[in-house]
Amino acid sequence: MKRTGILFFPAFDWSLGDSHPEREERLLYTQEQLFEEGVLDLPQIKQFSPRVATMKDVLRTQALFPSPGAHIESLDPHLISAGSSLLLGEAQVKGEIDNGFVMARPPGHHSGATVWGNRGFCSLNNEAILVNYLRARFGKKRIAIVDTDVHHGDGTQDIFYHDPNVLFISLHQDGRTLYPGSGFVNEKGGPNAWDQTLNIPLPPGTGDEGYHYILENWVLPRLQAFAPEIIINSAGQDNHFTDPLASMNLTARGYGRITELLQPDLAVLEGGYSIEGALPYVNLAILLALAGEDYHHVREPQKLKRTTLTLAALKPYIQDLQKQQQTVKQSFTIQNKPYFPKGNWISIPHSVYYDTEGFQETRHDYVRECSNCAGTVYIESRRYTETSILVRIPFEACPICEQAGYDLWDHLQKPNEGFANGMLQNQLHDKQYLWNRKEGLMEF
Amino acid sequence: MFNRVGIDVGGTYTDAVYFHHGRIQQTAKVPTQSDNLVETLMNAFDTLKISDEQEINQITVSTTLVTNAVLQNRIPPVKLLLFSGNGMKIDALPWPVSYTELSGEMDFRGREIEAPDEKEWDKLQLQRDNISHAAIVGKFSHRNRLHEEQLAAYLKEHNPSLTLALGHEWGQANFYRRSLTTYLNLGVSDLYHQFAQQLQTAVSARNIQAPIYILKADGGSLPLAKIRPIDSIYSGPAASVLSALTQTSPNASSIIVDIGGTTTDIGLTLSGAPLISSKGAQIGGFSTLVRSLAVRSIPVGGDSVVRTKDQGFVIEEYRLGPACCLGGDRPTPTDAMRYLKLIDYGDEQLAEEGLASLLPPEQRNPQLLHDLAAEIIDRVVDRIAEAVDSLKREWKEEPAYKVWEVLHPHENKEFNTIVSGGGARGITTALGKRLKTTVQLGAFSEVSNALGAALARPAFDCTLHLDTYMKQYRVEETGEQGKWTGSLRPHREVEGFLETLVQQQAANYGIEIQDMEKEPFDFFPIVQNYQTVGQIIRGAVHLRPGVIGRVKE
Repeated sequence: MKRTGILFFPAFDWSLGDSHPEREERLLYTQEQLFEEGVLDLPQIKQFSPRVATMKDVLRTQALFPSPGAHIESLDPHLISAGSSLLLGEAQVKGEIDNGFVMARPPGHHSGATVWGNRGFCSLNNEAILVNYLRARFGKKRIAIVDTDVHHGDGTQDIFYHDPNVLFISLHQDGRTLYPGSGFVNEKGGPNAWDQTLNIPLPPGTGDEGYHYILENWVLPRLQAFAPEIIINSAGQDNHFTDPLASMNLTARGYGRITELLQPDLAVLEGGYSIEGALPYVNLAILLALAGEDYHHVREPQKLKRTTLTLAALKPYIQDLQKQQQTVKQSFTIQNKPYFPKGNWISIPHSVYYDTEGFQETRHDYVRECSNCAGTVYIESRRYTETSILVRIPFEACPICEQAGYDLWDHLQKPNEGFANGMLQNQLHDKQYLWNRKEGLMEF
Repeated sequence: MFNRVGIDVGGTYTDAVYFHHGRIQQTAKVPTQSDNLVETLMNAFDTLKISDEQEINQITVSTTLVTNAVLQNRIPPVKLLLFSGNGMKIDALPWPVSYTELSGEMDFRGREIEAPDEKEWDKLQLQRDNISHAAIVGKFSHRNRLHEEQLAAYLKEHNPSLTLALGHEWGQANFYRRSLTTYLNLGVSDLYHQFAQQLQTAVSARNIQAPIYILKADGGSLPLAKIRPIDSIYSGPAASVLSALTQTSPNASSIIVDIGGTTTDIGLTLSGAPLISSKGAQIGGFSTLVRSLAVRSIPVGGDSVVRTKDQGFVIEEYRLGPACCLGGDRPTPTDAMRYLKLIDYGDEQLAEEGLASLLPPEQRNPQLLHDLAAEIIDRVVDRIAEAVDSLKREWKEEPAYKVWEVLHPHENKEFNTIVSGGGARGITTALGKRLKTTVQLGAFSEVSNALGAALARPAFDCTLHLDTYMKQYRVEETGEQGKWTGSLRPHREVEGFLETLVQQQAANYGIEIQDMEKEPFDFFPIVQNYQTVGQIIRGAVHLRPGVIGRVKE
């Protein structure tokens, strides 16, 4: 039996659109199921009420471009969802609960280091905001995130790609067959955090048995080797065989077992859009597994009709994948701009598509190669003709990287440079600064 | 102006209050003869010296009868038959009674997942086991009562004398609580009906024709014949909160403290309405769906024993006779009050001796005795303040399920405190300082439950759950389930529909509706394949508990 916290925030008055999958109805039947089962009467379960995350909490982890003010109107539900993660995460590290389940809408794992709008139903990254909150406020050092949503957790990966102290593992349906189209084995982390990102793309049709096999034989050993202080599970529920957007074959009990295997300190709901066929049962199974109760009697009424990959068929695929993953070698391009402080700056260009609103963000990321810390990060992010800059001085930055961050920050504000606005994310001192050419500097 | 009688039938005493033309005319306190309730009640009526029985508009009764029967385990056996379905293992929760599980399952929309198995029913053998009462409860029966009714019909056919209760009549979610509530309500029904009869006999014998109302756990009253017996539990604390309401201005927010010998009850009213507990009442080992006021009972009172411990003292949860100043031999908070001259009853010298016994001989000087007495009172007040904080947290930390609710949290309120009971006068100053509120002494505290009952307003709630796609509606409080014939996406239509339901409910209770509070409707579009195919709509109307008038001393 474990003291389990639950924060149930179904946002019954908010949707991304009338018939959008992320709508009022999404957690309605989950509420019916949980309340009818009487889970809140279990003596070890404690219900928490939500709180709103502050802008500082967000900016510590994500840059809102071109300015936070541009997002204010649409952010309320996202801030509550993020704040709910903070509240329960805090209760966990303070020892009020052994573990917890943030069952809140909206989700967050597609939201990355820079945010121009909503993508993949996400505007703010709930888990990432929590991770950095626990580091800044509670001195936590090593945290692992295991993303079991069917979609690649590209936003979370983006935020921690250069961070050697956050292990990010994502299991998902192969990006060649599903949004967002990323999450391949060669994405293993930046030069200072190599091998701290692990992507396990799975073939459509993977079921309980295969999934558990991968957890036991790949994910758990990797977690054990990392020895995190906290494990967070991005608990998307769209691997369920009834999910309308994906093609995997997990059951509610299969999810219970995932939870039992991972033993997360905190599970945070991500996606999952089979709102009648899966969510009421999967949410129940996860919660029971967290609380140390028997989840084997949780049964979804529908029967599995799709063919499931047998373990025998899956094993060779996994072994091959593991081999591929291990053989990927670092290959980074050094690209030092004239105004870059001394050192080797690794350039990683990429672009991000915002499907909800239909626009493209073009990014040039640079990280200072460093053997002493996570390395200062410099990101130029462009949408249409607008460019915004993020400078990030990482947690536990070495003095050289710290100075490099200040130098870059000073440089971009010079009158003869063409930048209009930017943000300094000083994680080392937990300070966030916004700057734009018209209004000047603002501190959070 | 109203003429009312309030009666509180307690285990030891029966208290009564008679309001004539809106003013307290007479109060009464008579011993409760548990084997002769009719006589007890008639004694109470006689003591009230009612001048004109025909003038009385209403009699309201609060009673611990059902509460005590449950707590003392005086409930005849009830066979509990459950359609428990899949999900959480049923024994994950503690069951104070045994049950039989049957197959048959519904889902959260009230769709049948699995039909019951009649072969299982054949094996039940209720007759052989001399079962006279059976409760049938299904998981999600509040969405679809079909299985419960099928089994009930089957059992009635084979055993016409069986008394049955069906779970769907408790229409809120929570299968576990619904099962136990149905069980308890059936279990206490004979006892309750006997009480109702005795009450009616006594009232008729005294020529009173006024309708009789019973006070419920949520502080509302309903007619004797309409109330569900288990709803009458905990009407004592509810009455004492109502009694405080009669002594404050209508929109005041109050902390209500009732100090007894060994327990202190604490309640909260917010802008004139008592705080309702977000979960149903807990009684004995039973978790129920009974709506009740949020109150805290803490094991400390005027007669609690104070004992030396380590370098200081502890206030124990028990009583060993009266305070030293009243002839007892153990020091108590009452002695501390007496020593500090905060109360004027009891012997000052005896109080001092009692307190001195808590100090080593060399420390028994006036200064240290004074400090000790003050600290005892502070300790009592601290315990009360902790309970007040916990109640305020319950109010403020209500779970929120909507963005709007999170962005508009409860505003802080200016509270006043009303304190009644034996030691009330002795702690007013300390309590005011600790709670940072004004403190008022409650009037008529010796009959406060009867006073609260006398002025209780009728109260009920009507919560609609409408699924236009399934063409079904349900009412949580009555368990009514019916067919929806309106449109798939109703707007104004649903408002009128709920209003009609409320009117019907009020007519059934025979009460007039005033100050109806409507909650905004929640609309959930039901989407299938990106098409809206219907709506689930939730809405509620409340007739909040309260009092019909105020008293002045």
